[in-house]
Amino acid sequence: MKKETIIAIFLGLLFGGVVAVFISLKSKDIELSTNKVIAPSKEKILSPNLTGTEIQTLELSEPVNNAIFEKDIIRFKGTAAKNSLIIIQSPIKDLVVKNIQGKFNLEFPLALGENSIKIVVYPKEKQFKPQEKFIKVYYIDSEL
Amino acid sequence: MKNTIKNCFIVLLFYCFFTSSIALGQTPSSTASSSPTIAVDKDIQQLKDKIANKVSEIRKQNNKAVSGFVQSIDGNMMKLTNNGEVNQVKFDDTLTKVFKVLGTTKKEIKTDDIAKDDYVIVSGVVTDNIITANVVLIDENFLVDSGKITEINKESYNIKVLTSDKNTYSLDVETGTKQYMVNIKTLLREAIGFSKLKEGDTVHFVVKKTGKEKNNNYSAVKILIIPQEYFIK
Repeated sequence: MKKETIIAIFLGLLFGGVVAVFISLKSKDIELSTNKVIAPSKEKILSPNLTGTEIQTLELSEPVNNAIFEKDIIRFKGTAAKNSLIIIQSPIKDLVVKNIQGKFNLEFPLALGENSIKIVVYPKEKQFKPQEKFIKVYYIDSEL
Repeated sequence: MKNTIKNCFIVLLFYCFFTSSIALGQTPSSTASSSPTIAVDKDIQQLKDKIANKVSEIRKQNNKAVSGFVQSIDGNMMKLTNNGEVNQVKFDDTLTKVFKVLGTTKKEIKTDDIAKDDYVIVSGVVTDNIITANVVLIDENFLVDSGKITEINKESYNIKVLTSDKNTYSLDVETGTKQYMVNIKTLLREAIGFSKLKEGDTVHFVVKKTGKEKNNNYSAVKILIIPQEYFIK
């Protein structure tokens, strides 16, 4: 085969490739522009209720982790989002309350020894993730 | 000049008033001095109380509680491990008290009764990273967590739970398992049966940990369900 023929075939393939890529990209653009939008429109994404909304984070001022108590009843004090559902669970107690005020002050019983307690806050606005804390406190009877 | 004399007189008057009141205030002690032993006893008692309060205050400051599985006991020393954390505990023959927790009651036992792999809670004073135990409680280790039910096996009464930290627990719901559901209207806890559980429900659970579990499989002590309807209402 002549040298010129090989060069002509090579250039032909190269040109064909470039044209194929161009057509493929162009057809994709056309397809996207003609198809219906499935995702919600921009206005809907930027919901007026949520723009700039920040949720009150769960803050527990009492009790502190690893605290030792001489009484079998303590109080959970702190702040969480208004109208959220608070669940405090330990092996001996499940406490379910609606946090009407931002602040909470809840009585909670302790078992003798170690108390593993989990507190979870489910915000009223369901799009926000639940917030949770885990603490261990100890009830050591002063008479022991 | 007249004013200066007046001021001096007032100051002198105040001085006399204060000195006389101090003198009056001291009268009872001068009376008490008539019986010196009682006064000394009182002073000693006060001093003793003060020292006791101070000691208790310092002890409270240094008081710490730790828990873990007994790894080894050697004489008056004990080593505890809990999730990779190691604590050394020292027994004091005159001070350390050991109890076994039996539900809501406790039974006093001896340090010799503590066995390897027991789950213990120790309260005491920390010095040089060693806790001198005041109280040792042998108890059960509980795990409290929550997540979403991803799978329910109605034949083996088992549920799979995915927690927020991406842990998957396999919980066996047995006849002794306390099962509750939150009423979404009243928010009161209601007793339920296994058939009420649904995939997608949120579950808060308590399990006993022995340290010998495999594949995160536990027997559930208690489950509390928040039905998914609560989150879509």
